[in-house]
Amino acid sequence: MKQYIMGNEAMAKGALEAGVKVVTGYPGTPATEIVDYCLPGEQVYVEWSANEKVALEMAMGASLCNMRSMAVMKHNGTNFATDFIMHLNFTGVRGGMVLVSADDPGANSSQNEEDTRILIHTYGHLPLFDPATPAEAKDMIKEAFALSEKTGSCYVLRPVMRICHSRAIIEDGAKEDLVQTPDFQSDRSRFVMSAVSEPKAGGLMRPMWRHRLLNEKQAEFTRYAEESRFNSVEEGEGRTGLVGCGIGYTCIKEAEALLNRKFPVLKLGTLPLPRKKVISFLRDLDVAIVFEEVEPVVERMLKQICYEEGLAVKILGREDYLPAEGELTPETVIEALRKQGLVEGGKTAVSAPQISAPVRTRTQCVGCPHRGLLSALKQVARKKKAVVTGDIGCYDAGSFPPIELQSTIFCMGSSIPMASGIAKTGIDRPVMAIIGDSTFFHNGLLGLVNAVNNRSNITVILCDNSTTAMTGFQPHPGSGTNIYNEQTTAISPEKIGEALGIKTRVVNPYLMEETKAAVTEALEEEGVSLVISRAPCFLLSSRRGEKEIFPRRPVKMDPEKCNGCKVCLNDLGCPALHYVAGEKKVYVDFNNCVSCGLCADICRRGALSV
Amino acid sequence: MNLNIIICGVGGQGNLLASVAIANYAMKKGFNVVGTETIGAAQRGGSVVSHLRISDGPIYASTVPDGTADILLGFEPVEALRHIKKLNPEGIYIINVEKVPTVLCNMGLDQYPDLEQIMAALQDVSSHGYAINAAEKARELGGAIMTNVVLLGALSSVSDFFDRDEFIEVLKKIISPKVLEKNLKAFEEGRALIAS
Ligand SMILES: Cc1ncc(C[n+]2csc(CCOP(=O)(O)OP(=O)(O)O)c2C)c(N)n1
Ligand code: SF4
Ligand code: SF4
Ligand code: SF4
Repeated sequence: MKQYIMGNEAMAKGALEAGVKVVTGYPGTPATEIVDYCLPGEQVYVEWSANEKVALEMAMGASLCNMRSMAVMKHNGTNFATDFIMHLNFTGVRGGMVLVSADDPGANSSQNEEDTRILIHTYGHLPLFDPATPAEAKDMIKEAFALSEKTGSCYVLRPVMRICHSRAIIEDGAKEDLVQTPDFQSDRSRFVMSAVSEPKAGGLMRPMWRHRLLNEKQAEFTRYAEESRFNSVEEGEGRTGLVGCGIGYTCIKEAEALLNRKFPVLKLGTLPLPRKKVISFLRDLDVAIVFEEVEPVVERMLKQICYEEGLAVKILGREDYLPAEGELTPETVIEALRKQGLVEGGKTAVSAPQISAPVRTRTQCVGCPHRGLLSALKQVARKKKAVVTGDIGCYDAGSFPPIELQSTIFCMGSSIPMASGIAKTGIDRPVMAIIGDSTFFHNGLLGLVNAVNNRSNITVILCDNSTTAMTGFQPHPGSGTNIYNEQTTAISPEKIGEALGIKTRVVNPYLMEETKAAVTEALEEEGVSLVISRAPCFLLSSRRGEKEIFPRRPVKMDPEKCNGCKVCLNDLGCPALHYVAGEKKVYVDFNNCVSCGLCADICRRGALSV
Repeated sequence: MNLNIIICGVGGQGNLLASVAIANYAMKKGFNVVGTETIGAAQRGGSVVSHLRISDGPIYASTVPDGTADILLGFEPVEALRHIKKLNPEGIYIINVEKVPTVLCNMGLDQYPDLEQIMAALQDVSSHGYAINAAEKARELGGAIMTNVVLLGALSSVSDFFDRDEFIEVLKKIISPKVLEKNLKAFEEGRALIAS
């Protein structure tokens, strides 16, 4: 069957056709749907793990039992799992194991922009596939499982956002006919990574011996790369060659089609590189331009090869010729050719419109429980001059205008330790950390434990909406359910608070006065305090048609009473409110208002009332 | 034959369904299709743009190159403005005139351009365009959620590539039977908005 599907679905199909038995992951754009689409695969176990390191460790457990497994994550997750990667590269795997590490060049949905090929290959020395299209990503996953078993190494697929989020017509393939029966055999000289002397290696320290084996493996990985159908050479006119890694190849082909030209092209889809193929391509060229997302990884490798082989080819790329950040486009290729004098004429000026489009900053949905909480926190923080650290999730939009509450966002779980660090300086201001529930279970809990153990003086606000909303409502350890919708124990943050011996309060964020009072008390206390703001995600519960999460309180608007003070906008910022500059008054858009009544609680003049 | 389409709007307007419908139609006609979306945080009112490329030959990049969109389907005026550089000077645009103000415009901190200015900017690029109130029509028919289908109706009547009956067959496959009838009405109304 042929279907028009998303790259992420194509990758899931590839894994299922390869007979994957265990799929784990933690949600994160652009990778999330790969896990979703593995459901409800026959005879596959799928889970949302608590974080990416856990996901990778789970997959390794399955591989040790000789079963095919796959762990899925976005680049930040790969960072988080790096410690484990730096061990599994030494030990190798048993059952075929694939790590999918999705990068987000352009950072459309990420806190940072990076290239995990560096972590995985340059640093971890693992072999990797970099797909050019969704269809190729599907084929590569299948190949990755096969090679993983042949080489006894974990293989990595590194799709970029434009692979994950592209759609194409994809054909179903045959499911591999594999009989996999779980079987565990202890092999301690491999799987006990410890500083002991290894008799098998003449008494060498085991980590050094395994390091040597990994280095020796590289020749085998290169041999497979040399034969791989994902690397190929295309002939063309002139002595300037174009090297396309993954999506870079797609951009080159599009540019060639737009220009109606044909250049010498080297298509690369693997790391390590097919060294012989690369050398024979470079030999006849004066210049080679490398198109890759997003760091100059292959570019530097080519420079090294030229040096070692004494080739006088000029290698250009993202180091200092192409833009060093962001996504590649066919236009990037055309521009590079123009700079080389290979495309005539100046840049075709697309006339910019006279007016510019106002930016859309992200905010919470109308009716979101985070809105009442953030408003209450802003009011208290202002009064108490609190320093506020933030974390990642729907609530993080509280750091943008109009709320501008959190002063920091780094990576998952950073809010609590950063708050402790601020407080430990002895600063004369209360310190507050804001963190979501999925983020808390991902890597926030340890920061809290650390704060308690080291007697920090901070207030932790836990935004408990019982789901991972930002990435599309995945369950987490506090949700009381899992990916199969089975009922599980909802791990209770207040019981965690109790176990840690810290003062814990639970508030309803739709009751702003109560929330403000609880947060004020918490800030005044010595030591670590926890405030749990509890109400389900409004969007999710309305979509599911669940019981109303707040009593509807329809608001009335009396423009006569409005003096245009904008407090409702600055301190609450519901998108159903808008300011009419001509009249200097605020109005409610009743098409969007969901009658949460919060704006009436904020307006002191009775212009908005219930 | 090559047809590049840009569909732009804000999260929650259903522009993904629109692009899937068009892609399925093109597939049914035996064409190759490639597309992509830039989603951001779709639920919370961020910009959402879908690119669609249809051809009887090979297609490489999933993004529509600048200046080559044969059709720009704007679910929201400012979003159409944001992607104006995609529009081919010979291309057609269809704009749903109902505004979704930005957070900063709501606060009076940023100015939402006048609709006339936006339409004039589009006119500067191409002289073939339509401004329709698809959202209002959808609400009349029972819900703003059908705005996307009204716009699909409009789209289906501006290009020879689309055949009304065959497009309806595609919609029947992807829209839930419970709401199909209303949606088919919305589709016809979209066609009527262009005709009038
Ligand atoms: C290491 C890492 N993994 C995944 C993500 C993607 N991500 C961003 S926010 C988020 C979780 C948000 O859930 P929660 O903290 O419960 O807040 P909510 O969105 O529900 O308000 C995730 C998974 C990330 N940014 N970093
Ligand atoms: S998705 Fe849920 S948690 Fe996120 S902003 Fe909307 S209502 Fe709030
Ligand atoms: S509605 Fe109330 S809070 Fe908002 S601007 Fe008017 S008077 Fe101020
Ligand atoms: S009642 Fe006020 S705050 Fe609540 S949704 Fe309506 S306008 Fe927004």
